[in-house]
Amino acid sequence: MNAPAGLDLASIPDRIQSEVQRAIQRSIKGVEYFSTSGPSLGSTPKDILHVRGTMNLYHYRPIEHEIYRVPILIVMATTNRGYILDMVPGQSFIEFLLKRGYDVYMLDWAAPKPEEKGLRMEDYVLDFIPDCIRRVQQDSGETDVTVIGYCFGGVLSLLYGSIFADGPMKNLICFTTPIDFREMKLFQNFADKRYFDVDRLIDSVGNVPPEMILSSFEMLRPASRAASQVQLWENIWNDEFVKSYRMFDRWATDTLPLAGEYFRDITKDLMWDNKLYNGTMSVGGRLADIADIKVPILHAVAEHDHIVPYDAAKPLIAKVGSTDKEEVMLKGGHVSLVAGANAIRRLWPKLDSWLGGRSI
Amino acid sequence: MADNSNDPLALWQKMIGEMEKGFNTFANQAMASPQFSKAMNQAGGVTAGAQKQLGELMEKYLVSMNLPSRAQMIGMAERLQSIEGQLNEIKVLLLQMNAISGMTQDSVAAAPKPPRTRRPPPSPPGEQK
Repeated sequence: MNAPAGLDLASIPDRIQSEVQRAIQRSIKGVEYFSTSGPSLGSTPKDILHVRGTMNLYHYRPIEHEIYRVPILIVMATTNRGYILDMVPGQSFIEFLLKRGYDVYMLDWAAPKPEEKGLRMEDYVLDFIPDCIRRVQQDSGETDVTVIGYCFGGVLSLLYGSIFADGPMKNLICFTTPIDFREMKLFQNFADKRYFDVDRLIDSVGNVPPEMILSSFEMLRPASRAASQVQLWENIWNDEFVKSYRMFDRWATDTLPLAGEYFRDITKDLMWDNKLYNGTMSVGGRLADIADIKVPILHAVAEHDHIVPYDAAKPLIAKVGSTDKEEVMLKGGHVSLVAGANAIRRLWPKLDSWLGGRSI
Repeated sequence: MADNSNDPLALWQKMIGEMEKGFNTFANQAMASPQFSKAMNQAGGVTAGAQKQLGELMEKYLVSMNLPSRAQMIGMAERLQSIEGQLNEIKVLLLQMNAISGMTQDSVAAAPKPPRTRRPPPSPPGEQK
């Protein structure tokens, strides 16, 4: 009897031996997994320049002897921690930027406290970001600043850039930033005006609990958590896989609560009325139309982004008023676009080649 | 590339991947309906209300047991955070003062800032920007 095509009978004993060894390793490493903590994240040396309530401003210590003139301020998404951009040495976007000679600052968020439930969109756009920009200018001695916004940090950066169109923002880089909120189909359905009483929710809970934010993200791919745990078990013998799993799992579950009034603003202005896309958004009484943005802009989007689908991000480049503008679509998902192997190979070098000449 | 069509492990991994994709697609279709939104938000509203009432009840219970509540612990954490923030600001000021006076020129933090004169490396010949 012939062996079925593709089955090499001679290799079966080796294969069995290898699988037995892996099974033993799984048992040993499985015990190790539960008895040890994950890798230390966000460890690139930095100084805390300023802390005020939910706002933290870091300055990463330059490691090159000569740096670009224009400093970078990274604005993180308000739902997640900034260490996604500074995982471990060799897998850190921050470290990459420092090695390429950039001066890097980050506006990262802490969980808003119950008494900060009254923070509104205007507090983020007209107070926190301008305050950080001023401090970056003061610390660096430069007037111009490049702003990089990740996900909703990109939305905040766009709002800031629209209102302060005369500067000091010199360049704007957005990662996976939604503009057309109608195209975030599932989030739209979760927040359906007919059934979702945002006023009742905020009036009863104050700040939106992180569990609720996390569940809404996980509901977009309900089977993925269970599948990733199966994958973890299969690969638990592989130290590199486990390290990577732990890093991303820790970050993904380390979700921040959202200030109540800010969430109310997002729901009503963006999810329901789609004001950013329509050009009717106002923040603290000031019109924020992205057509007013004239600085060079790069928008990086992910081909398989399930959180911000491409249709939600696509209109950004068409709608900004800049003449020097570019969209780059890269393989990967919402997170792997900015962190992980794909990012190291694709996004980071692309960003460096785009930004270097615009940072002098 | 090796043919994995008869490898049981590869088949198992493929099956898990397909199941994940299939279930996600099915669930996304179901979640896109107005009925789902209605049911989810009804349940969510009840949970949020119940959570708030439970929180208030727990707070009263902890007070009666002479134990700190979560809100009080958060308050303490907040005061610590504010002290840390002020210490950081003092640290930054001290480093700036030291840098100005040149007292600790050998320290890493007070080291002179690198010049902002960097230029991007020249593009390889023939490469269009």
